[in-house]
Amino acid sequence: MRAQPARLWPGTGLPRLSTVTTLRTSSDTAVEAIQLVKRFGSTLALDGVSFTVPRGSVFGVIGPNGAGKTTIMRALLDLIRLTSGRATLLGTDSRNAGPELRRRIGFLPGELILEGRVTGRRLLRHYANISGPVRTGRVEELADRLGLDLDRTVRTLSKGNKQKLGIVQAFMHQPDLLVLDEPTSGLDPLMQQEFLALVSEARDAGQTVFLSSHVISEIQQAADEVAILRDGRIITVAGVEALRDTAIRHLRMSATGLSAAELEGRLVTLAGMAELDCRATATGAEATAVFGGAITPFVQAIATLNLTDLVMEEPDLEESVLRLYSTPEAP
Amino acid sequence: MAATQARLATQQRPLVRRTVLPMFTKSLVDSWRSLVGWSVGFTAALSLYLPIYPSMSGSSQMQDLIDSLPTELTRTLNYQQIDTGAGYTQSTFFGLMGFLLISIAAISWGAAAIGGDEESGQLELTLAHAVTRVEVVAQRFAALAVKILALALVAFVVVLFWNGPAELDIDVANLVETCLLFGGLALVCGSAALLCGAITGRRIWGIGGGAAVAVLGYVFNAIANQSADLEWLHDLSPYYAAFGNSPLANGTDGWTLALFYLAALVLGALAALTLRQRDVGV
Repeated sequence: MRAQPARLWPGTGLPRLSTVTTLRTSSDTAVEAIQLVKRFGSTLALDGVSFTVPRGSVFGVIGPNGAGKTTIMRALLDLIRLTSGRATLLGTDSRNAGPELRRRIGFLPGELILEGRVTGRRLLRHYANISGPVRTGRVEELADRLGLDLDRTVRTLSKGNKQKLGIVQAFMHQPDLLVLDEPTSGLDPLMQQEFLALVSEARDAGQTVFLSSHVISEIQQAADEVAILRDGRIITVAGVEALRDTAIRHLRMSATGLSAAELEGRLVTLAGMAELDCRATATGAEATAVFGGAITPFVQAIATLNLTDLVMEEPDLEESVLRLYSTPEAP
Repeated sequence: MAATQARLATQQRPLVRRTVLPMFTKSLVDSWRSLVGWSVGFTAALSLYLPIYPSMSGSSQMQDLIDSLPTELTRTLNYQQIDTGAGYTQSTFFGLMGFLLISIAAISWGAAAIGGDEESGQLELTLAHAVTRVEVVAQRFAALAVKILALALVAFVVVLFWNGPAELDIDVANLVETCLLFGGLALVCGSAALLCGAITGRRIWGIGGGAAVAVLGYVFNAIANQSADLEWLHDLSPYYAAFGNSPLANGTDGWTLALFYLAALVLGALAALTLRQRDVGV
């Protein structure tokens, strides 16, 4: 890095280390955020957020509401202005960047609001007029895959269908970088899978995807790397495998022909079993627990039971990952 | 999936045509209904007032009626010159009903252009596409100007139509100038609404700002008409600047005309600069 000639930072006459870094990495870095700080009045929404998204990768941001996910995305898009710090997208500083940069970005806002009076097709044509070119047939292809009727007036569409329209407008011009804020909200599970297929196709085509989510499985499935955000700070950036190991699940089961104590005896020895509560029922016993251990030993432990009900529920992220990462010192 | 990629990679990319000024075009296309509605309103108002002029101008009863009104009222309504075709058209339409209608149209368009769009949440997505904020303001300002001038053109055509049948005897050159002033005044009100909307991101403040220019301009003019002591209020009134010298009877000069359009441009430019500086949609 030192060997690179230092380019002068415009206006100051001083070499800036970060500029050198950008020069070195601009070809393989899609997003570089350096110490992003954003204040809204007395609220500190972003408190020095830095991260790097390599080109052609899928980068997820997870965190509870108000953690700053949306603020990061809106700052990257230059919709809001950083109090300090800077972000470089596709090698260009995002601040007051020209249309050429935005043409290479597809954005799906977290709170998607679309004009209601026109048909989906008309609305998409408008955005294509601004950010195009869009390949002929591309819009129809995406709409087909998502099961979206383009000829209906936007106002009459359900929340999920509006979300599909938002996804189409973000993907249609095949941008180099996709910034997607809670992209699957309002989509049914089938469409969520279709969306994830779109994301992985985008990655395969060399596009970079930056997305936020509440749903851990979605992030696990789609992302290469995940940043965990809390109170405007990145707690950790982890690979997906690391995240998977930390996931906890809500467990609820009932079985017949055994006592509560017997059921407890089977479950309590399993690693990662917490908050176990076994009660007797009319025909047997039922148990609830929070389970963070490996699945196979659990399945083996219950394999011989006469189960009447078994629910393993994925908790939301706030509960699982954040609980672990926010209190790293806890036993 | 692989097949799709291969297709994407190898397929020729015929392009969807991009329009040159997408925001400008959309702004016009979106409001053609409202433009038609206002045009009908203009035509109706003019066609109610203008044809009855011949029956009023020759009638001494009408003059008696006006004389019997309080002078404050006739001064406010500018009815002193109602005995000429130009004075009548000025007082009834350009100075009153037409001014009211075009101001409402201009202010509602202006307030919706940025403030309304931001408040509804749609501006955020537009700005995430390949436009700059300055382009968005500039194109929407241009669309606002075109719509207002279209209404001024409707007024011109309808007055011209009635000029003969209603024996108004208005000079066509003066009519052109008056319609341009009429549009310029409305554009100033609409630009003020656009600016206030761009500053606050709220439609209602845009309407407030635009209405303040229109209403205060009218009120200052009306008060200043009452007495010489208050005449200085004329200087604060865009309404007086446009109509104080009875342009329909006397014409106006290029400077006055240019002043209105320059003022509107300045307001539009301020709106662009303001929007460029601030956070959007917070």
